[in-house]
Amino acid sequence: MIDTVLPGGAHPELPGAFDAGFPGFWEEFEATAPRRLRLGFRVGVLAATWVAPVLIGRPPPLGLYGRATRERALVAMASSRSPVLRSLLGIVKLVAALGYGAAPEVRRAIGYGGARP
Amino acid sequence: MIVDGAQQEHALDEAFDYVVVGSGAAGATAAKVLSEAAASVAVVEDGPAIGTAQFRDQGFHTMRTLYRDGGAQITRGKAAIPVFQGRCLGGSTVVNSAIMWRLPDDVWATWRDGHGLGDALPLEALHSNWDRIERDLSVAPTPEEVWGGNNRLMAAAGAALGVRTAPMRRAVVACHGSARCQSGCPYGAKQSMALTYLPQAEARGAVLYVNAPADRVVMRGDRAETVTGRFAAGPPFRLHARRGVVVAASAIQTPGLLRRSGVRSPHLGRHFQAHPGASLVGVFDDPVGLWHGATQGFESDEHRVDGRFKVESVSVAPEFLMASLPGVGAPWLDWIGRADRMAMWAVDLRAHAEGRIGEGRAGPGIRFDLERRDAANLRAALAFVAEMLFAAGARSVLPGVHGLPEAIERPEDARLLREGPLDPRAYSMAMTHLFGTARMSVRPEAGVVGPDFAVHGTPNLYVVDSSVFPTNTGVNPQLSIMGLAMLAASRMVETRDG
Repeated sequence: MIDTVLPGGAHPELPGAFDAGFPGFWEEFEATAPRRLRLGFRVGVLAATWVAPVLIGRPPPLGLYGRATRERALVAMASSRSPVLRSLLGIVKLVAALGYGAAPEVRRAIGYGGARP
Repeated sequence: MIVDGAQQEHALDEAFDYVVVGSGAAGATAAKVLSEAAASVAVVEDGPAIGTAQFRDQGFHTMRTLYRDGGAQITRGKAAIPVFQGRCLGGSTVVNSAIMWRLPDDVWATWRDGHGLGDALPLEALHSNWDRIERDLSVAPTPEEVWGGNNRLMAAAGAALGVRTAPMRRAVVACHGSARCQSGCPYGAKQSMALTYLPQAEARGAVLYVNAPADRVVMRGDRAETVTGRFAAGPPFRLHARRGVVVAASAIQTPGLLRRSGVRSPHLGRHFQAHPGASLVGVFDDPVGLWHGATQGFESDEHRVDGRFKVESVSVAPEFLMASLPGVGAPWLDWIGRADRMAMWAVDLRAHAEGRIGEGRAGPGIRFDLERRDAANLRAALAFVAEMLFAAGARSVLPGVHGLPEAIERPEDARLLREGPLDPRAYSMAMTHLFGTARMSVRPEAGVVGPDFAVHGTPNLYVVDSSVFPTNTGVNPQLSIMGLAMLAASRMVETRDG
């Protein structure tokens, strides 16, 4: 899931989530995240896996498809008419960003902590 | 002395003149005033004491260690809105941007005329308190050397549109412009209660109990006698109050504490008001440096009265900026890759809506739904911010509103926001300023707390936080809260001496 949300090799300067050390963050997240956030993330992943493909007319689960189709399904979830689905994808993105945005190589690439412009 | 409840192995039973529940803006101010008057004071704080050296610039760590519910506290209602509160010694003053606004005269006038509180909360006395607090906390406009690009662009927008903008007045000494207010100032520059009023109270003998969640106030007849709870390590504590119990646990936590203590009022937990906010991102041709400069250094109050909103520059940690950007997969990375050219400005909305705070097994339940007129004000506010961003030179603006394009490229398309949806679920909002759940009233039938800040019918059980505010304020409330808490504590001292 995280590799679909923040894929490797998709940006000239930014690594994918896994190359940016997401697995290390994930261990910390599982051990210490607030229960509500962990639960929200799990439900979000479930919805992305089993509902998102349906939004683009494909049978689930999401893992059956290549990256482009997975991405299209998640984009459909992000713009779904259902506020619940949108919120769930928002939680998945938030958790992904919590890990990804803390990675030093990502921060360097976006100018965090660098010289004042 | 700081007593850490995470290390307490034994039950504790102590007596003080006053027991203050909560160590944020209100509780710290009350503790300072009372301890200056030679009263013995205990301050009871739910969360831990986190020192300046322990602050880290990583969003997840910050959420877990400094924010209530690990940053996952949300409203229940049509839209689930995150509600951010500090949960540590110093409360939200540790994680806010130290923005200092006096209660506007027009808001005070509605408290006087609509709620009869002119005599209870005399403006002259409040201004005198605010004068003192501003001196104590070195409140001053954000100096130009730490404006940074995000704040500077707002100044440019104001000049281009002829809109009133100004550097924020903040409680900061020698700001480094690290843009890290919201994860705890790593330089100790922000004058949070943890660095100012609480140590000052401690120096006069106040005992600060941290990791010590208060459960209830034990009453005897009409007197508040003892604050009870259980330390984080497990043993119980009983703190007896010879003179009074001062509740300053926040508009979310205070109603539950009072209910558990036997306070009964149809207004308790009701009339919950807030300032829901939403932000827009502008993308510029050149680097902005969102993370260089004061976290929140500039604002526009142009439409504070006629539009019920205020605009503020805001810098958030990279994680939270990323989470707010549109797209998934490669398109999301595209936006993330442009983060160094982004500015972020937010709207604080003075919502009409009233919610309520209930009690659940897992803690307070926050019911809150924007009214239709609030949603209309919100979309007008966001359109205004979009116009400002374009006026500052933004190439595109990311509305973050469901049903609208993920980016708008032309200034005239700000109208899309003005005509945007009225369904609050279309917006990504957050709330920080919280009011009204134990509101002050002259008559017991109209509120929870009397003009002397004591719960009606319970003369020594005081509430001094923003729960007592009869309405929201439309401006950042810390200074107002402190001014009222100072007034309340001064009256306690006078009453004792009288």
